[in-house]
Amino acid sequence: MAKDPILQVETTCGSLLYELQIIWDEVGETETDRDKMLLELERECLEVYRRKVDQANRCRAQLRQAIADAEAELASICSAMGERPVHIRQSDQSVGSLKLELGKILPELEEMQKRKIERRNQFLLVLEEVENITNDIKGQGEHVLSKPPIDETDLSMRKLEELNCHLQALQKEKSDRVETIRKHLCTLYSHCSVLGMDFNEVVSQVNPTLTDPEGPRSLSDHTIDNLDAAVQKLREVKIQRMQKLQDLATTMLELWNLMDTPIEEQQEYQHITCNIAASEHEITQANSLSEDFIKYVEAEVVRLGEVKASKMKELVVKKRSELEEICRKTHMLPVSDSAMDQTIVAIESGIVDATLVLEHLEQHISKVKEEALSRKEILEKVEKWLSACDEESWLEEYNRDDNRYNAGRGAHLTLKRAEKARNLVNKLPVMVEALASKTIVWEREKGIEFLYDGIRLLSMLEEYNLLRQEREEEHRRQRDHKKLQGQLIAEQEALYGSKPSPSKPLGGKKAPRMSTGGTATNRRLSLGAGMHQTPKPNKKSDQRQVQVDGALSTGRRGLDVAGLPSRKQSMNPCEQLQSPLVRKPFSPISTTVVASKANIATPQQLVPNSKSNAVNEISSFATPVKNNNIIKNLEEEKMMMMMQTPKNVAAMIPIPSTPATISVPMQTAPTPLNNNNNARFLPEKAEVIEYSFEERRLAFMLQSESPIHV
Amino acid sequence: MSLPPPSAGRELANPPSDGISNLRFSNTSDHLLVSSWDKRVRLYDVSTNSLKGEFLHGGAVLDCCFHDDSSGFSVGSDNKVRRIVFNVGKEDVLGMHEKPVRCVEYSYAAGQVITGSWDRTIKCWDPRGASGPERTHVGTYLQPERVYSLSLVGNRLVVATAGRHVNIYDLRNMSQPEQRRESSLKYQTFCYALSSVEGRVAMEFFDLSEAAQAKKYAFKCHRKSEAGRDIVYPVNAIAFHPIYGTFATGGCDGFVNIWDGNNKKRLYQYSKYPSSIAALSFSRDGQLLAVASSYTFEEGEKSHEPEAIFVRNVNEIEVKPKPKAYPNPAA
Repeated sequence: MAKDPILQVETTCGSLLYELQIIWDEVGETETDRDKMLLELERECLEVYRRKVDQANRCRAQLRQAIADAEAELASICSAMGERPVHIRQSDQSVGSLKLELGKILPELEEMQKRKIERRNQFLLVLEEVENITNDIKGQGEHVLSKPPIDETDLSMRKLEELNCHLQALQKEKSDRVETIRKHLCTLYSHCSVLGMDFNEVVSQVNPTLTDPEGPRSLSDHTIDNLDAAVQKLREVKIQRMQKLQDLATTMLELWNLMDTPIEEQQEYQHITCNIAASEHEITQANSLSEDFIKYVEAEVVRLGEVKASKMKELVVKKRSELEEICRKTHMLPVSDSAMDQTIVAIESGIVDATLVLEHLEQHISKVKEEALSRKEILEKVEKWLSACDEESWLEEYNRDDNRYNAGRGAHLTLKRAEKARNLVNKLPVMVEALASKTIVWEREKGIEFLYDGIRLLSMLEEYNLLRQEREEEHRRQRDHKKLQGQLIAEQEALYGSKPSPSKPLGGKKAPRMSTGGTATNRRLSLGAGMHQTPKPNKKSDQRQVQVDGALSTGRRGLDVAGLPSRKQSMNPCEQLQSPLVRKPFSPISTTVVASKANIATPQQLVPNSKSNAVNEISSFATPVKNNNIIKNLEEEKMMMMMQTPKNVAAMIPIPSTPATISVPMQTAPTPLNNNNNARFLPEKAEVIEYSFEERRLAFMLQSESPIHV
Repeated sequence: MSLPPPSAGRELANPPSDGISNLRFSNTSDHLLVSSWDKRVRLYDVSTNSLKGEFLHGGAVLDCCFHDDSSGFSVGSDNKVRRIVFNVGKEDVLGMHEKPVRCVEYSYAAGQVITGSWDRTIKCWDPRGASGPERTHVGTYLQPERVYSLSLVGNRLVVATAGRHVNIYDLRNMSQPEQRRESSLKYQTFCYALSSVEGRVAMEFFDLSEAAQAKKYAFKCHRKSEAGRDIVYPVNAIAFHPIYGTFATGGCDGFVNIWDGNNKKRLYQYSKYPSSIAALSFSRDGQLLAVASSYTFEEGEKSHEPEAIFVRNVNEIEVKPKPKAYPNPAA
């Protein structure tokens, strides 16, 4: 039975026909019926064939269609992916049957489809990313994004690269924006810390996402603009506050200056005043511009203002004394004490504003200073004249001493002085005349009288001239008398032949010691004075002379009283009494100046020396000396010890003058030592353990990298 | 080549971003291999002034050399010895030292790579072996001190270490040094001309006969006399001219000098480079000289001129030994 089915069917058909003919024979069908039946059979068979052929035909068409479709799809995918199709069908060269062809093309198509999907996913990824970043930048981060549209017709690598480029550009922009925002935030943070504001609050006002350190931050233009604006705003506020603070600091400095506030008290606010000239970016200290801080400074300024008001009185007094000081120096009449007391009372009672008084005083002081300047020239001449007068009176005295030529200790000095004095006295009339003419010119210019300690200078000069004339008269008389006596003696001699000494009876009871002793003291005293400040050692030492050595002035004054009583009368007795008192405030000033100098030079020797004080007490000098002695440096001390041994009053006098001169070598002494230390040169030596540059470099590299690794 | 060379030579584009540790011309082309502290090895084509390839390593690259025109070797602070293949961009690790590897040489005679490391050894490798240290490693040879420099001539290998040791090996018998010497120079020695940080170069001779050894000498160079004192600059680099046997030295003073070793004469001094001369290399025909101008850390970390590689054309007159008045007996 293992036969071809068609053959079988044929056999079956033949046998069936044979069976049919047997049946027909038996039935006795007619030929026509038989033919008819056979025709019918034939026709039906044909029909069946035709149907099958049609079916087969349709199937073939479908297959062709499928191949064409697959090829088309393949082509479209390839073109979309921008690749040359792997499968190029050679239409003329048939591969085989259609089914084979389809079987071949389908896996290729599948492969391509798979690749397309992969590519598409890549596109999706990139597009999504692009979309994400775009949204980030546009500031719609919260929006749920729709699937980004993909251009299905172009999935080529080129396009992907383009997209990637675009993505990178976007990423860069994003990182730029992040950086910008970070910078802004940094600036904002520093501003906030300086201004004492809550950084988080400020930032959340700009955009709440910025305060979250972990979560995504808004990167939109809007946010950046807002941030920028916030930074600008804070900067303006900062500048505003800074100006305010600087104004306050200026006021504070002025007040300090005005009130001489001690440094310790200023120290507390030093960090404010040191920023007085700082520019905006230089102020970075936290809270240095906060509202509280400004309030605190304001409070201090207000407090200082109050203190100032209470100190005004003191200030007025101070200015007052300054004014008096100038007046005294220039021998002008100061405003009386009563007027000053009145002003103080007025200030206390609040009638007068202290500042007004101060201003007034300032003006007055400047006016007086101006006047003092114009008086200076004449005053110098007056000074010269007065000292010349001193010499004159001394010479008078000296001339009267008949034993003046006796050679004693220091006599040569006295002689020299006398010689000088004579010269000076000869010049006196010219001096007086010049002074008078100068004064007249001055008075004419100014339209006021030139007053010297309240007395008109011209009248003083006149008085002096009168006095001189008187004295000359006296001299003449004396000479006449002498001559007369000489004649008398000559006559007596002629009569009695004896010759008495002419000098003895006329010399009076002047002690011979007096002149030499006096000059000796003078010399010593003047030696001391010379080391202080006076250029003229024999300067007249009445109340005008501002001197540190009271002993000298008193000693000299004693001489003056004897020497020139007439001059005394011209002085204001009240002033003279007052003078030591008036002088007192002056001397401390000068001593503080000296003291501060000494401080600078040798700060470690600030402690007053008890020994020197003790010596002062022993010498019991006038107050100024003591004041000067309070601060001493080591050198002085040594000098003191040396000078102490003679226990001599004169030896004590030079002490106050030393600090300035002696401290200088003291100071320079350590410097060369320091220099030597600094200049010690250490030559560079090769290291003991040998390492090549590369080893050192690697060590350095690892060292600088290690924090990153860890 | 017809253009007059600029004073410093052509500067290569895309120079390394950190100190250049070495540069070498290929034996077959005008390719230049550069290792640097920025952890990279770069391959330049000098004739087109282009960067052909770049390899990033795990640490500073301290030395490199060519294998053939398509591959080379590099060593560095990550203790590894690498073989790098340029056209593929592939690299494999031949093996490792225990400490950073300072120098590498390839011997064409032995077909081996020789590396010297701060772990006081030199190692030989067979690059043809499949990847993996057990296949490539040929031998390890202890040295008295950290290896600072290697130099190859034919089958001779000169190893310079810290502590002024100089060992000379025969590559065919590495079991022990053929000669042990102490550098005639006081401080660190680098390459067989020896150069050193003390601004001096020594010429020594392999020949142990007394006559040859008597000829060895050292001379001072790369020094500056200022106010009566010599400023001594380290001599970082020595390169022998492939044809004339003269050599160039480069120092931290930024100068490159060309010397005639036989006649003990300086032939030429090139104008000053912006920074220390870190490495020198003549091209295969000696027509080009690559100069690495790069700070060599002689004064520790400091700001310095950017790294630069100059390639200059070499005039024959600059490198050709000047004939002496009397014939010089061959050295």
